[in-house]
Amino acid sequence: MQPSIRSRQSLSVWGAGLFLFAASTATAAVPEHQERHFTVQGHPVVVLQNVVNGRIEVKSWKNSEVVVFSSAAKDKVAIDMEQVGDRIDIAATSTVASGQPHEVEANFQLTVPEHTELQLKTQTGLIYVEQVTGDMKLESIAGDVHLKEVSGYIIVKTTGGSFVCTLCSGKLEFTSISGSAQLLQPSFTNVNLMTTSGNILYDGDFLRTGIYTMKSGKGLVEVRFSGNDSFDLQAKTYSGTVDNQAAQFMQPEQHTSRHGNKFTRVLNRTVGLGFAKVEISTYSGTIRILKRD
Amino acid sequence: MHCKELESVLETEGLGQLSKDARLHLATCGACQGLIADFNSISTAAKSLPAEVNPPDRIWISLRAQLEAEGLIKEPVEVSEKASWWESFLAAWKPRAFAAVTAAALVLAVAVYVKRVPQNGVSDVAKKQTPVESSRAVPAQVAGVSPAAALPANIAPTQGSGPSKAKELAPSPSESASFTLNQAELDVPNMQLAGNSQVDTALRQNLRTLNAFIAECELRLKQNPQDELAREYLHTAYQQKADLLAAMMESGRGEN
Repeated sequence: MQPSIRSRQSLSVWGAGLFLFAASTATAAVPEHQERHFTVQGHPVVVLQNVVNGRIEVKSWKNSEVVVFSSAAKDKVAIDMEQVGDRIDIAATSTVASGQPHEVEANFQLTVPEHTELQLKTQTGLIYVEQVTGDMKLESIAGDVHLKEVSGYIIVKTTGGSFVCTLCSGKLEFTSISGSAQLLQPSFTNVNLMTTSGNILYDGDFLRTGIYTMKSGKGLVEVRFSGNDSFDLQAKTYSGTVDNQAAQFMQPEQHTSRHGNKFTRVLNRTVGLGFAKVEISTYSGTIRILKRD
Repeated sequence: MHCKELESVLETEGLGQLSKDARLHLATCGACQGLIADFNSISTAAKSLPAEVNPPDRIWISLRAQLEAEGLIKEPVEVSEKASWWESFLAAWKPRAFAAVTAAALVLAVAVYVKRVPQNGVSDVAKKQTPVESSRAVPAQVAGVSPAAALPANIAPTQGSGPSKAKELAPSPSESASFTLNQAELDVPNMQLAGNSQVDTALRQNLRTLNAFIAECELRLKQNPQDELAREYLHTAYQQKADLLAAMMESGRGEN
């Protein structure tokens, strides 16, 4: 009998423990949702600093109102929002005691007027912006940045996150250490891309008088231009390779005397009348030039 | 008493004790009551503000770089005769503060480096110096040896050397940048970053990536000092490393 009583007691203790654990887990897992509305006039500025994990999604609408929908664990993340005139500041910070590991999350969904200026900063998690036409500065450590149909002066800075820009226009600056960049069907007049170990893909047209600079330390830089394009190309590398698969559509460059030296291999070519200027370089990676069908 | 008179009384005597006339006017004037209420709420809000707010390190770094760029402050790199100032300097600063200062110095060095157009390749010093060695120089406070000994051979002070010799042995901006970057990096292994494994891993991995790339470029420049492409990439990598270290310091500071 004794062992049976003991095992029943231990069972009940385990059961109670399990119940408490499950209850606490369930409580912790339930995120708190918050929705705030800010009426704005003219060109609003939204500044969001997310110092925990999580996703930031921004879409536009015709209304003169910024709507912020956030979800985060109630006891682990503090979310502050403040409006001063047309500027809205949002900050998500961890409330977990310092020194403790905290894998907490705060996710944001913003709906903003089309001409909104954005300054978004996050650590991990995706930054997604769609159909916003204001200037924007987007910074991330490990999260990716995806933009769709945006225009303006766009600055993207990541440490390891990658960047995808579809149907974007305006002026673009991208810098990263290991993140890659993909520009799909862009209409930028000025592009400056730099990544140390990531790859770069430019798949689109080069606008007249546009200036396009793409630099990679070790990665692949691939450019796919169209038959209607007109640009001067300079591709240079130290120990990498230049794979020109569109040589038949190019002629030796006619406008400048940019030549390499004994340390650098340089390819200078002109497509069409050479209206735009395209400069590609890689230290030890590969440069690939293609013409789209 | 009129509103203007009450305002001048408030300016000179404050909200403390108002005269009988002032109180009589205040009792009947809505505008002045509103003014007093505003003053009270401002006073209450001001009291609730923290006494001192420390801005993040990157503010100081960028501020210093801006002042330097505008020529408002100058901090020339000098070779001292004695190493004692360096020891006392290190002792005076705690590691985190030291890291911030070295990062600031780095930005200065990089700024100088950017301005310097390589006319004859690199300086004589750089030709004599192995860049990889300079970037990997073991800092004094870690090795437990004299700080002067930890400097690259051509940066370390030379006993009895005259001013001209000292000038000749002054480190090039790229060497200074490399050295100060490595000083700033010293804190990283001991630094608890964001406490967030994804972020910490990304920061450390990217630091390794940059270090490997910097070493590659430095080696290339050592072999071919006039290689402008390598110099350009090295410069960019230095800038990225400075930014990354500043982000790491900020991340660590924010949580500790």
